[in-house]
Amino acid sequence: MAGTAQHATERRRFERGPDRLAAGAAVVGLAGLAAGVAVGPNVGWDVFFRSYLLNYCFVLSLALGALFFVMLQHLTRAGWSVALRRVAEFVAGALPWLALLFLPLLIPVLQGRPGVYKWSSPDVVAGDPLLQAKAAWLNPAFFTVRCVVYFVVWSLLAVVFVRDSVRQDATGDVGHTRRLEWWSAPGMLLFALTVTFFSFDALMSLNPHWYSTIFGVYFFSGAVVGFFALLALLVTGVQRAGALTASVTVEHYHDLGKLMFGFVVFWAYIAFSQYMLQWYANLPEETAWYFARQNDPWWRGVSLLLLLGHFVAPFLALISRFPKRRPGLLVPAALWLLAMHWLDLYYLVTPRPLGASYVPAAPLHWTDLALFVGLGGLFLAAVVRPMGRHALLPERDPRLGEALTFENI
Amino acid sequence: MAAHPVEVDNTWERPGERAPLVTGGHTFASLTDTVCAVWEAPRPPRAWYVAFAISVALLAVFGAMIGYLIFNGVGVWGLNNPTGWGFDITNFVFWVGIGHAGTLISAILFLFRQKWRTSINRFAEAMTIFAVMCAGVFPGIHVGRVWLAYWLAPYPNQMAMWPQFKSPLLWDVFAVSTYATVSLLFWYVGMIPDLATFRDRAPTKFKRIIYGLLALGWTGSSRHWHRFERAYLILAALATPLVLSVHSVVSFDFAVSQLPGWHTTIFPPYFVAGAIFGGFAMVVTLAVPARALFGLKNIITLRHLENMCKIILLTGMIVGYAYGMEFFIAWYSGNPFESFIFRSRALGPYSWAYWTMIACNVLAPQLFWFKRIRTHQLAMFLVVMAVNVGMWFERFVIIVSSLSQDFLPSSWDYYRPTAVEILTLAGSFGLFFTLFLLFCRFLPMVAMAEVKTVMPHADPHAHPHAHVPATRRFDYNPDEFDQEQPA
Amino acid sequence: MSHAAHTAAAPHAATAPPRPAALLVEFDSPGALLTAAEQVRDAGFRRWDTHSPFPVHGIDQAMGIRRTRLPWIVFVAGVVGCTAGLALQWLTNATSAADAPPGLWTIFQGYNYVISEKPALSLPAFIPVIFELTILFSALATVIGMLAMNNLPRHAHPLLAHPRFRRVTSDRFFLVIDADDPQFDPARTRDFLGQLPAAVAVETVPEDRSPTALPRGVVIAILILVALALLPPLLVARARLSKSTEPRIQIIQDMDNQERFKAQQAGPFADRRASRPTIAGTVARGDLAGDAHLLTGRVGDDWAAAFPPTLEIDLRLLHRGRERFGVYCAPCHGYGGAGDGIVAQRALRLNTEGWVQPTSMLDATVRDRPVGHIFNTITNGIRSMPPYGDQIRPEDRWAIVAYIRALQRSQNARLDDVPPEVRADLR
Repeated sequence: MAGTAQHATERRRFERGPDRLAAGAAVVGLAGLAAGVAVGPNVGWDVFFRSYLLNYCFVLSLALGALFFVMLQHLTRAGWSVALRRVAEFVAGALPWLALLFLPLLIPVLQGRPGVYKWSSPDVVAGDPLLQAKAAWLNPAFFTVRCVVYFVVWSLLAVVFVRDSVRQDATGDVGHTRRLEWWSAPGMLLFALTVTFFSFDALMSLNPHWYSTIFGVYFFSGAVVGFFALLALLVTGVQRAGALTASVTVEHYHDLGKLMFGFVVFWAYIAFSQYMLQWYANLPEETAWYFARQNDPWWRGVSLLLLLGHFVAPFLALISRFPKRRPGLLVPAALWLLAMHWLDLYYLVTPRPLGASYVPAAPLHWTDLALFVGLGGLFLAAVVRPMGRHALLPERDPRLGEALTFENI
Repeated sequence: MAAHPVEVDNTWERPGERAPLVTGGHTFASLTDTVCAVWEAPRPPRAWYVAFAISVALLAVFGAMIGYLIFNGVGVWGLNNPTGWGFDITNFVFWVGIGHAGTLISAILFLFRQKWRTSINRFAEAMTIFAVMCAGVFPGIHVGRVWLAYWLAPYPNQMAMWPQFKSPLLWDVFAVSTYATVSLLFWYVGMIPDLATFRDRAPTKFKRIIYGLLALGWTGSSRHWHRFERAYLILAALATPLVLSVHSVVSFDFAVSQLPGWHTTIFPPYFVAGAIFGGFAMVVTLAVPARALFGLKNIITLRHLENMCKIILLTGMIVGYAYGMEFFIAWYSGNPFESFIFRSRALGPYSWAYWTMIACNVLAPQLFWFKRIRTHQLAMFLVVMAVNVGMWFERFVIIVSSLSQDFLPSSWDYYRPTAVEILTLAGSFGLFFTLFLLFCRFLPMVAMAEVKTVMPHADPHAHPHAHVPATRRFDYNPDEFDQEQPA
Repeated sequence: MSHAAHTAAAPHAATAPPRPAALLVEFDSPGALLTAAEQVRDAGFRRWDTHSPFPVHGIDQAMGIRRTRLPWIVFVAGVVGCTAGLALQWLTNATSAADAPPGLWTIFQGYNYVISEKPALSLPAFIPVIFELTILFSALATVIGMLAMNNLPRHAHPLLAHPRFRRVTSDRFFLVIDADDPQFDPARTRDFLGQLPAAVAVETVPEDRSPTALPRGVVIAILILVALALLPPLLVARARLSKSTEPRIQIIQDMDNQERFKAQQAGPFADRRASRPTIAGTVARGDLAGDAHLLTGRVGDDWAAAFPPTLEIDLRLLHRGRERFGVYCAPCHGYGGAGDGIVAQRALRLNTEGWVQPTSMLDATVRDRPVGHIFNTITNGIRSMPPYGDQIRPEDRWAIVAYIRALQRSQNARLDDVPPEVRADLR
């Protein structure tokens, strides 16, 4: 095939570098966590746990986006993406580690802390007929059971999809590909249900009176935007470090740019659908959620920044093919989108529900930063560590040839 | 070319190879001959005449029912006080939904580089146009005083009246008319090169002039092709959000209201998925007989049908997901009106319609998990017929069950369609199939130029006279390359 | 070119050797076309083109075709559509003709009606139409722009007359060098083309000498059609500018003229009487004969001073009266009957024009009224108070009257009104 000669001289494995980087990231991450815990008593543990939830959902959503991407490529028998798939697998591979990091979030639920999840406090529920009606779903025990189910499903899917792909590097057996293709369809079904209910449980129930049927799709759309941004950054990083210099071409960046653009528009569509319907019908139990985000100057600013930064700006910036084919322009766009994805989750998690009995605290805290560094560092460590142990692309995937010679029309 | 080519099984999956999308050893010339044969044949197959006669008879029924309605007023329908929308809007949403697959296959699959779209996009687009025409009839006739329907359009007038732009029904006017226009453009632009083929093969001067006018003087110039491809890509990129917007706007007709069962935030993407689901079912419904009748089995292959079945399975599950979310949130909301209406859907007066919908839309497509069924034409046909029925019932359930039991139990009433409504629905199929059969006979049913681009011979680097393999292989053996060894 | 000139030129065309418009090479595969295109490009030709049944991958680079600027045209059209959508909705639904300076645009204004409590300028509600118009304008610009940049439609083209060229839309590939090219030389270029690898044939494309003028019959038909098409607008214009005393032509009646029958006329019923007799078993409004005291509050011509004897005045009736009073009277008159209900309070707060303060039932004037008079006021209303006779049953109206009496008594009570056993508590 054309262009095979160049592939002969590229680096496809790292040695020690990833281990060193992962160790550094883990140290920084632990330091961040420690700092967060240290300032915890000063800002209040409610604030601490909300910060933790925010940053945890940020890294988790990126890993879930990766799992989605990997399964989607198998489901559609995609050829173009094979050269990128291993890096996405590394990101999805962080899911079992993230399951461990979820455990601290069970503390406020089991403690019945009304500042985090109102419904977890028996005192609050006793005075709230709506929460009593929902108690069959929103109670600490069932919440814990559901979360265990989510993380078991995700961890198993991540382990299966990473392990078979890595094993194929050694065996070259097409059977691995077939097995993953078989798993991708039921996997996707499980993924859709678990992600939806996770978003209901972890995020929507922060305002337990409020409800929106589209919320699961909203969370998913933001997660995928964040993941594609992260993938573009990781792939650029790997190339800067001297590997995959020939396998990953401008054509792959072009496609990543298209996917980023497409999901930015999809996110806007979903966000607008939810906003439009609740704004228009103007039912008090629904608009309370937007009321908290629109009638306070800070949160109105955040909403407008989301509209401009999560949709208008990237829409205009990525609509042309020019930036998509230039990694130098795509990287800043990806960084921006990651920041916007964080802001999106901040907008979901942090605003206090209307009528919250406690004093509204400042909208940003040191814990937000400390735990961002903490969870981000540990997540990065989990993603980078396997880069030193496995090839950086599925070397013997039967569709790799297609990916290497792929061209956009 | 044999009139009835043998079925080739190209549904195999071998990772690293891509199955051929055109079977039967076609060359460019034989492909052109096969597609043009439908039009060049002195007369169409007998089945075409039978189908056409039935369609025209139904079309006459349609016209008679609309005339009867206009003459007598909307009282000839079974609408009652809480149920102000019945068959009329159900049929509208049903047909608009069907009208989505054409542009979806063309636009979204084009953007996703799904090459198999080329064999089916033309007649799926035609289906879109005709379905949107059927859809457009219903809001037009349901307004009562049909002759004043032009008031929907914004134009300066002596009454100093303007449309209320904050009304979702007006968004519908803009969305559906834009969609009809852009779909027509997309269909026509894509057809220009094939109309030129008809022009160049026209047996009579009259046909040469007609198709010549339609082909706009297309010469296949590469400079033209360059802008043509760009324009086609842009149209696809425009049509994709348009498809989403149209059915989202249709869902807004319901969802911006406060009626339980209508007001739920998942409606826009759920309606879009439902439209794609129903639209693909209709494409398969048309493709299975058409490919047999017109000898197109090597062009619309078994693989095309199987792919469509997979999409039906996927979108059917998305629709099932939306049903589930509605039910869950109806309970979770703690709103007694919400939970009542959903209990009533499953157990109330319209539960027969609800369970028909579930059986057809959620359960029937599950058969497509099995490849045996995805590749068996009769089984597939039965499933997609179930989906066609189920998608009609979905709209019926949404509209009628919510309306007939509104907030005030004293105003509840059971809606029963009259014979006029049922005959109007049947008649709309007459309009649809009449147009579709005329299209099959007189216009290029397969996008010949596009199918040629996905044939292996289209690769300019393939040796022109060597044997061109039917499958595309991407040979790559990692052991051939010396990797830079880690030092 | 006129018809006469064309016939004059015809014999000359028959004798002169056809001047080539172009040279045409045929290939049977896209690969051959691609190779040939590269060679022709490298030979420095300027005015040439290739033709194929489908877009050949890589031909743009081989021919050196620059990327089209079509996307920019579409982008601009999209911005225009977006602006037009916003402007249309803003002007018509969110501006008022009264505030605007006079001008033609006032016709676009003044339709700012409130719907579902939304502000006049509601951006979320305007987004669907803005979006659709953006797409519509962009799509039209795409198609029109593509056709215009391609110089299409162009029905008379020399290539289309060449018999070999007909296969360009089926399975053949052509390279065409125009005779206008600066390097073109009939013989040398032909040799050059003949050497191209895998060329199936090299042919001359003669100049297109088919008449370009439209046949006279077609011209006349178009003129007649144009003239006919002008008729309706002319008729409309005449109708707009002239005055007529004739009633307007109503194609559709729209219920403007409805059938009706006058009393004593023949009607459509079986007995041909337009006025219908009373239906058996019914009583017309106001014709109910019965206990006048109970139903009207009158005894003879005077207001009844006492409650109807059929009614038992007890605590049960007073409770009923209080409950009905709370439903029907208290919103305006207040629970105490002082004329300070929430409706009255709100009207006072808003300074509503023309608002009449509800009467206080505790005033002496009302206290001195006979019960029959109060009953009549409830039944038939007074001043801006509407009648309640058709909403409250007579017994309930009397119950309300009884309760009003109790209210009045409660505000004007003497010590001996209080039962003796609790009097001591009041001291």
